Amino acid sequence: MRIRTCIFWLLLLSPGELLLAQEGCTQRLTGRVLSEAGSPLFNAEILIQSLAMGTVTDSLGNFAFNKVCAGTYVLEFRYVGYKTRMEKISTSERKLFIVAMTVESQALQEVVVQEKLDKVERTTNYAVLDGAKLNETAGKTLGESLTALPGVSTIQAGPGIFKPVIHGVHSQRVLILNHGIRQEGQQWGAEHAPEIDPFIASNIVVIKDASAIKYGTDALGGVIVVNPPPLPEKAGLGGSINSVIQSNGRSGTISGVLEGGIKNLDGFGWRLQGTGKRMGDFHAPDYSLTNTGIKEFDFSAAAGYHSEKLGAEIFFSHFQTELGILRGSAVNNLDDLVIAMEQEPPIGTTDFSYTINPPRQEVSHNLLKLNSHWAQANGEWHLQYGFQSNFRKEFDIRKSSLSNIPAIDLELRTHTVELEYETAGSKGRQFCFGLNGMYQDNRNVPGTQRIPFIPNYTTVSGGPFAVAKLTVQKWVIDLGARYDFRNYSVIGYDYKNALYTSDLAFHNVSASAGASRAIGKQQTIKLNVSSAWRPPHVAELYSLGTHQSAASVEYGLLLNDSTNEVMNINDVPFNVEQAVKTVATYQFAANRFQLEATAYSNMIFNYIYLQPRGVTQTVRGVYPYFRYTQTDALFLGMDISAAWTISPRFILSPKVSLLRAADVRNDDYLVFIPSNRFEIAVRYQAVKNNFYVEPRLKYVARQYRAPRVITVRQIQDAVDNGTDPLGGSTDNFDFMAAPDGYVLAGVAAGISVPSGSGRFDFRLALENALNTSYREYTNRLRYYADDMGANVSFSLKYTF
Amino acid sequence: MMVPKKITNTLLGILLIALITGCSKNDPVKEDTPELVTKATLTFSSVGGGASIVVSATDPDGDGVQDIVVDGPINLMANTTYGLTIELINGLVAVGQPGYSITSEVEEEGTEHQFFFSWANSTFANPEGDGNLDNGSDPVNYQGGTNSLDTNGLNLGLTTIWTTTSTLASGNFRIVLKHQPGAKTATSDASVGETDLDLTFILNVQ
Repeated sequence: MRIRTCIFWLLLLSPGELLLAQEGCTQRLTGRVLSEAGSPLFNAEILIQSLAMGTVTDSLGNFAFNKVCAGTYVLEFRYVGYKTRMEKISTSERKLFIVAMTVESQALQEVVVQEKLDKVERTTNYAVLDGAKLNETAGKTLGESLTALPGVSTIQAGPGIFKPVIHGVHSQRVLILNHGIRQEGQQWGAEHAPEIDPFIASNIVVIKDASAIKYGTDALGGVIVVNPPPLPEKAGLGGSINSVIQSNGRSGTISGVLEGGIKNLDGFGWRLQGTGKRMGDFHAPDYSLTNTGIKEFDFSAAAGYHSEKLGAEIFFSHFQTELGILRGSAVNNLDDLVIAMEQEPPIGTTDFSYTINPPRQEVSHNLLKLNSHWAQANGEWHLQYGFQSNFRKEFDIRKSSLSNIPAIDLELRTHTVELEYETAGSKGRQFCFGLNGMYQDNRNVPGTQRIPFIPNYTTVSGGPFAVAKLTVQKWVIDLGARYDFRNYSVIGYDYKNALYTSDLAFHNVSASAGASRAIGKQQTIKLNVSSAWRPPHVAELYSLGTHQSAASVEYGLLLNDSTNEVMNINDVPFNVEQAVKTVATYQFAANRFQLEATAYSNMIFNYIYLQPRGVTQTVRGVYPYFRYTQTDALFLGMDISAAWTISPRFILSPKVSLLRAADVRNDDYLVFIPSNRFEIAVRYQAVKNNFYVEPRLKYVARQYRAPRVITVRQIQDAVDNGTDPLGGSTDNFDFMAAPDGYVLAGVAAGISVPSGSGRFDFRLALENALNTSYREYTNRLRYYADDMGANVSFSLKYTF
Repeated sequence: MMVPKKITNTLLGILLIALITGCSKNDPVKEDTPELVTKATLTFSSVGGGASIVVSATDPDGDGVQDIVVDGPINLMANTTYGLTIELINGLVAVGQPGYSITSEVEEEGTEHQFFFSWANSTFANPEGDGNLDNGSDPVNYQGGTNSLDTNGLNLGLTTIWTTTSTLASGNFRIVLKHQPGAKTATSDASVGETDLDLTFILNVQ
């Protein structure tokens, strides 16, 4: 508690001379504070107890004590969630002094720590996007922001729709925790992005193994944890305003935060936050990407009270977006698809506009969260309730009388309850027990004038869990296990518009074990083995219909192959997905060089995917059709990131993500697996002020491990000749070969300028600087159009 | 460790609220499906009188895996002029109910729809050629009925006029209905818009 208050006051006061000067002295102490992974820590606190002086780091992790007397001082480095460090530093030191902070183990006594990195166990493999790095992604969507982290990529459906992919898996297999609550939206579609405003977060943690036992099923690939900053606990007003303008899309984004406490009521704090965004059509190097605009409006409010023993918070957020989907990607059959793929610029390309026409989406998401904690002598209780309502409308290009009627109109309401007890045993042992429960209701809003793509359903799920943290000699060990059940009650209309109902029940166990130890002062190794399972999503079992942007029909797993009738799950050979993920991490952190290397293997048994099955003829023409099927999939990969401080002014940071994925049951490749990517950045930063400039080069290799190609023309020819277009095989295929690899260059520069008690951060960035025409394999738009061209963005943040 | 009473009570309360608000009736409502065409019927009526030739293409399972069933062949008399009318229905809707006749919907929205045709060369004396599916300016006789043209006077094609050649002929006869919202012009061809209908029949002139 004390630490946070302290930082809060320092924020208000720094970098005023008062705290930083010793009278009559002219020496200077400077340095940088980094996380173990090498990312700068923003607002880390540095104290010189002997002089009663203190300061905080800027967004690049830099700090400076000006005007101290010559000598050697003990500096105390504090950062929420990290171990406090004491380091000696002399004013005669010529080299840049760099401090790498290590994450604190989850200390139960320290509420502060839990609020920062609550979701992370010591032995877990994770990456954090925070401070300056998070600021640099201002204006981007959540999914796009996270690509700054090694091992995280995206599945895209145009320049504005990003789904995060962790180690090659995504959608249902990645859990997103927003403010501690499982995000429950319609994540089954490839063009369904997470409904979260990234401005809401002070840090985003990506857990890249399946060890997050506390949060329930589904986290086969990993967990994305969106953490808010802790609420203020003292009176006083603080906040920030962030504005971003971008040339590509001619967009503007503005986001603001205002927070404070109440006089004479210590422990009480509140925060208001809001974001507005308007983007027009994005632009590829040679043409406009017509109908790719975005309109977004989000706000949130939080209030809470914390004392030593008790705490309670209430939080509400609203997210609302309207997204256009490339006009040239709307097709109704294979002939349309041939035309759409072969025409460049895409069909329907017009001049720049802010107008959003069909095909488009309207999505909104509300979250109400109540939580409290109650500390006792030897443990602490946590209770949390969340209510989410998610509304999704998708508008296709339809007959004009229907063009304003959504083709998909879904309401999803979710209640979650969580009770948890944490306690500490002897010898540093820590235990946590808990229960989660969820009730969910998915409803098709009547009036779409189409047989619903997915049925109505209610879900009841829940289960108990236990997590233990032990220290055995030099090893820190995490153990966890949980049991879950999930019951679905489904009611929908089948292909002939006749009613059907089904009741389904699934249950299984998950377990996780991790160990980590330090080797000497500079190295850490971690190993985590976890087994997680995932009940099937209703969409995977019962979906029925065509995708306007894919010219393909999708059938759920429980629809009969030849009659389309809904089958009983007991009559088909179905098993829930079960993953065994093993992650080994090596970390090296010396003063000037930090390295993290991660190797992983994720074996997903009964992996559910869309398998091409054949072509069906309808009155609209010929469609290939896909059926949800199960196989065994293996994901093997490696992430490497490093930061090398060549001189006080230059930092070199390379990043590598390698992945190979295969369907091991059928000896085949999977579709839409991110290819290998390499990135290198060189950062120059001025020593006197915190100006920086950072050129960056990114190379994305071609995906050679892609399924066979069957072009639309080959399918048509086969249909005309009466032969099987798929050659009698259900191997995966793609309509188009994977695009070539590409290199993107970019450069960013920024500076922070103190002003009174506040601070201005300016940032100017140029992305795709050479205006390279390229297509990304995991962007569904690659069939129709090039990716985004050059983009200049300027952002200005004022913090007070 | 006893669970404190306060917390149990709160938890139970929340569960109760969740259950009460959650257990609302969730029965879905049956949708009309006006875009679904389960049957397309082509009627060739001899202008000079005589029996009409009627063929249809039926897809009773809509988006289901079953292939469409196409009647045929269409056997036309040589040297004869026919009026072709196209009727589309959605068999999932009861006869006479709104949404049953897709023909009338296409007609109402004629300004954004057009039928395109292709056939084997020398099947017809008029129109000549092989149809306007590959080349929008090739001849097709958008005549013969009030629904041959849309309200802007542009080609629609629910009724068309065909005169067969004097010699025997045989080949494919393909009709494509394009939906061209905001894009239909006098020159917009079959590459514009989305496909609402795409059917191929065998056509013989005998």
